[in-house]
Amino acid sequence: MLIKSSKQVSRWRNPKRFPVSRNSGASPASRIEAGVTWPEPEGATRVQHLQVYRYDPDSGRNPRIDTYAIDRDKCGPMLLDALIKIKNEIDPTLTFRRSCREGVCGSCAMNIDGSNWLACIRSLDEINEPATVYPLNNMDVVKDLVGDQTHALAQYTSIKPWLRSKTPAPTRERLQSPEERKRLDGDYECILCFCCTSGCPSHWWNGDRFLGPAVLLQAHRWLVDSRDEATGERLDELEDPFKLYRCHTILNCTRTCPKGLNPGKKIAEVKLMIQQRRS
Amino acid sequence: MATTRLRPRSPDIQIYRPQLTSVLSILHRITGVLLSVGSVLLVAWLVAVADGGDAYAMADRWLHSWVGMLLLLGWIFALFYHLCNGIRHLAWDLDFGFELGSIYRSGWTVVAVSVILTLLTWTLGLAGGE
Amino acid sequence: MSEWHRRDPLNRNPASARASALYRAIGLGSAKSGAHHWWLQRMTAVALVPLLLWLVVSLLAHARGGHQAVALWLGRPAVAVTMAVLLVALFWHMKLGLRVIVEDYVHADRVKFAALAAVDLVCVALMAIGVFTSLYLAFR
Repeated sequence: MLIKSSKQVSRWRNPKRFPVSRNSGASPASRIEAGVTWPEPEGATRVQHLQVYRYDPDSGRNPRIDTYAIDRDKCGPMLLDALIKIKNEIDPTLTFRRSCREGVCGSCAMNIDGSNWLACIRSLDEINEPATVYPLNNMDVVKDLVGDQTHALAQYTSIKPWLRSKTPAPTRERLQSPEERKRLDGDYECILCFCCTSGCPSHWWNGDRFLGPAVLLQAHRWLVDSRDEATGERLDELEDPFKLYRCHTILNCTRTCPKGLNPGKKIAEVKLMIQQRRS
Repeated sequence: MATTRLRPRSPDIQIYRPQLTSVLSILHRITGVLLSVGSVLLVAWLVAVADGGDAYAMADRWLHSWVGMLLLLGWIFALFYHLCNGIRHLAWDLDFGFELGSIYRSGWTVVAVSVILTLLTWTLGLAGGE
Repeated sequence: MSEWHRRDPLNRNPASARASALYRAIGLGSAKSGAHHWWLQRMTAVALVPLLLWLVVSLLAHARGGHQAVALWLGRPAVAVTMAVLLVALFWHMKLGLRVIVEDYVHADRVKFAALAAVDLVCVALMAIGVFTSLYLAFR
């Protein structure tokens, strides 16, 4: 089917997964085991089941999948409402990040029905029955749905995401024309939720060296900033078979971005900039 | 409580939903590998031509066998798919067609065109052959 | 699930506690290369579009005629030269593409370097054999 916006959920229910078993290639500590099925709500007419990835570091046990049942008539409209309802009423140990509940902070990014999105802006009407909820892919799990973002943020730090200028600091603001400011559109909206990076197959295989779509989009943001004076150095730092060129334009990033941004396009523009200065 | 236990890694390909973007991308790679094998046979075929009638007749017999025909069909599809999707990639490299709607439209077009070209080539090849 | 997060950037020792997250993210720094590979991959691709269409159409026209027809077709100098150019572009493109596949999936240094060397050598050998054979067919 034709997808025109990353908001759209595919109408096709199958295939749900690649032909790979759930634990294939997983290290012993990462293997997922069967979990608990929690009781059904009493007297509910509309029930939504959620299969949620659980991991408790203190239990000494492997991750498992728990199934929760929610009474839709006694729950808010979004997946985040359902998770909060579970934490409040069913199982207070369920752990997840959340803050703004309106899609501007990026805390509640998770893998919902097999693709990454923010739980606070994913309507319960749009998810499968039963729906699956996993932490963002390919991260060390701290607890339940909370992934360790240390590496992703270190990769972000490695591109030096701050203004690097050589002319002495002016006594007032550094001015930009409206046109110069417009070049940051599509970059500055990124909330660093890492939905794209953790949904990128290239980052799954080579995430230690490939910077990933979120960080490369941020790199683009500084390359096109009219006030930044380190464009050449930035391109030098990026031009690497792994840091940048591991991007094979798979475009899972653009498909999944909950802010509707286009990391794939921005990475292509970085590659073109490098080509531009070579010829 | 500090634990020395390694943290588990959250699953990726095991649970990520196949989407047109990733499926066509891995298909591009698979057809690329198939074509690499096929190009070895292209060279072998050229050598057979240079070697003379007997070697060529053997290669021809093998190509007309059941297995040979099936592989040939596979290579023809692989060739057209890799070619069409390659053009799609070249357009992206020039910063064209990056809107999500265009990505999906060009993706389905590539699938349709490569199937049509495969069938066309196969029919033309069979019509004149034997 | 790739276990890259447990690798040291030097890919030799298990990650030590000393290695900070930033040290691991920076790794060995930028190789300041990759653009050349990217450019050649695109250039050979552009060349292959018309060349492969030519190959398919030509094979449809000549391959059914048996050895004599094929040898006659390949015996024409223009055809032999076009075929040689095609093979150069094809194996060059193949070499670049297979290299990326190996780099993507093979992470043990020794195996990786051996596989990359094998890819390069096999592609160059096939290119040489193919080019020599097609020129031989026309200019013997």
